Amino acid sequence: MERKEVLDELRTILTTRLKFDPARTADLTMETTLPKGLEGSLGLDSLDFIELSVAIEERFGLVIDESEDLAPHFQSMDALTRFICMKAAGQ
Amino acid sequence: MRRVVLTGLGVVSPYGVGVQPFWEGLCSGRCAIRPITLFETDGFRSRIAGEVPAAALAALPASRRRSRADRFGLAAAREAVVDAGLSLAERATAGVIVGGVGGGMLEVEAWYWEMARSGENPRRRSALRSVLPFSHAEVVAHRFGLGGPKETVVMACSSGAASLALAADLIGDGVTPLMLAGGVDALTRICFMGFNALKLLDPDPCRPFDRDRRGMSLGEGAAFVVLEDWEHARGRGARPYAELVSSGLSTDAFHVTSPHPSAEGTIRAMTEALTRAGLESRDVGYVNAHGTGTPQNDRTEALALAKVFGAGSLLVSANKSLVGHTMAAAGALEAVATVLTLRDGMIPPTANLDHLDPEIPFDCVPHTRRPASVAVAMSNSFGFGGQNVSLIFRRWA
Repeated sequence: MERKEVLDELRTILTTRLKFDPARTADLTMETTLPKGLEGSLGLDSLDFIELSVAIEERFGLVIDESEDLAPHFQSMDALTRFICMKAAGQ
Repeated sequence: MRRVVLTGLGVVSPYGVGVQPFWEGLCSGRCAIRPITLFETDGFRSRIAGEVPAAALAALPASRRRSRADRFGLAAAREAVVDAGLSLAERATAGVIVGGVGGGMLEVEAWYWEMARSGENPRRRSALRSVLPFSHAEVVAHRFGLGGPKETVVMACSSGAASLALAADLIGDGVTPLMLAGGVDALTRICFMGFNALKLLDPDPCRPFDRDRRGMSLGEGAAFVVLEDWEHARGRGARPYAELVSSGLSTDAFHVTSPHPSAEGTIRAMTEALTRAGLESRDVGYVNAHGTGTPQNDRTEALALAKVFGAGSLLVSANKSLVGHTMAAAGALEAVATVLTLRDGMIPPTANLDHLDPEIPFDCVPHTRRPASVAVAMSNSFGFGGQNVSLIFRRWA
């Protein structure tokens, strides 16, 4: 799966599963950051991250291991799409 | 007077995922109660239960970080919603009532034990988010876009049956024409240890109504039904499985675990259901019993059945002999079984029943399923604290 397609799927997850206003996700790019508190970020809080990671597992058929430090992978869309592609490739 | 019909069924049981394996398993008389694999059982009086098979669970699409119970609930709800053929727009009006008790406790127990043993705070925080029983209703409503009333019923072992009763009342009162109702429960250490401590578990698979019965067996699973105002179902061309004619609810107000010795509360629940249905006791051909296999329950349930129905021709069987006591899911699973009995003219047997207790004056369908054309059937569920629910279903002609 191409990272561009993954980004589109994440946009869908944010609107359908996390119920984000489509206006908020429309201009989403690889450079967009996720965690609350960062300038120009999507503003995800800790519960949003759990919901997002569960939705990613269900959409992409992955298992995300919470015992590793996941924060760097959920920092930006660039990092997250790389992480998902790597997991999907079984690495 | 609105008629309430069932137009969709969904099940996760110790026979696997789906209504079909559940119904075939029950009718086969093959007991699904086996050694527990989910957690350590060394040193306990009873070490068996009806577990949902790991392979069936692994094949489900839901994230493994959801609680085991939520994964059961999502799978059973999906099957019911698809079976009923509900559109997105119809789902948006539907309400949901779920019977739950254990919630996501299994995962929280594992999290706590890890913390206690390692002295560190485990990272797996998502294990903590679905501990409360209302999580089941929350994830099901969210996943399937159910926009109507949402409730969680915590009534111990009658939770699943109570959810159907309350959902039917919402439809009957015209609050909403469409409800998803059911029960969800996964095995947990606290439940397993608690029932062992109460000495209510049989070391061998439970044998309801048997002279030598020594207690219940635990189980786990989920079941959902789509309940619908008949006019609403007809309007969208849905074909009902059966009608949920009435329910009777009562409380013993007697003891925290023991049923009332003269069965006053259970008699009132059954009588109330018959009265609300406008039926006589002779109209009921089959009772899907609560039938746990504890000395106390089976004795008082038989006493109540004899008082309400008279000794004799009534057919009675206990699904718990096959899948164990699935706790908050039990009433919903047994409602599905009762509905399929009406549809197929087939009564699943009571397994492990070698010597009928002389105090039980009924044909309890031992070992082998029984073809029987039944027009009206009752399903009983009695929870700790004397929380009694009787449901009456009628075959859809």
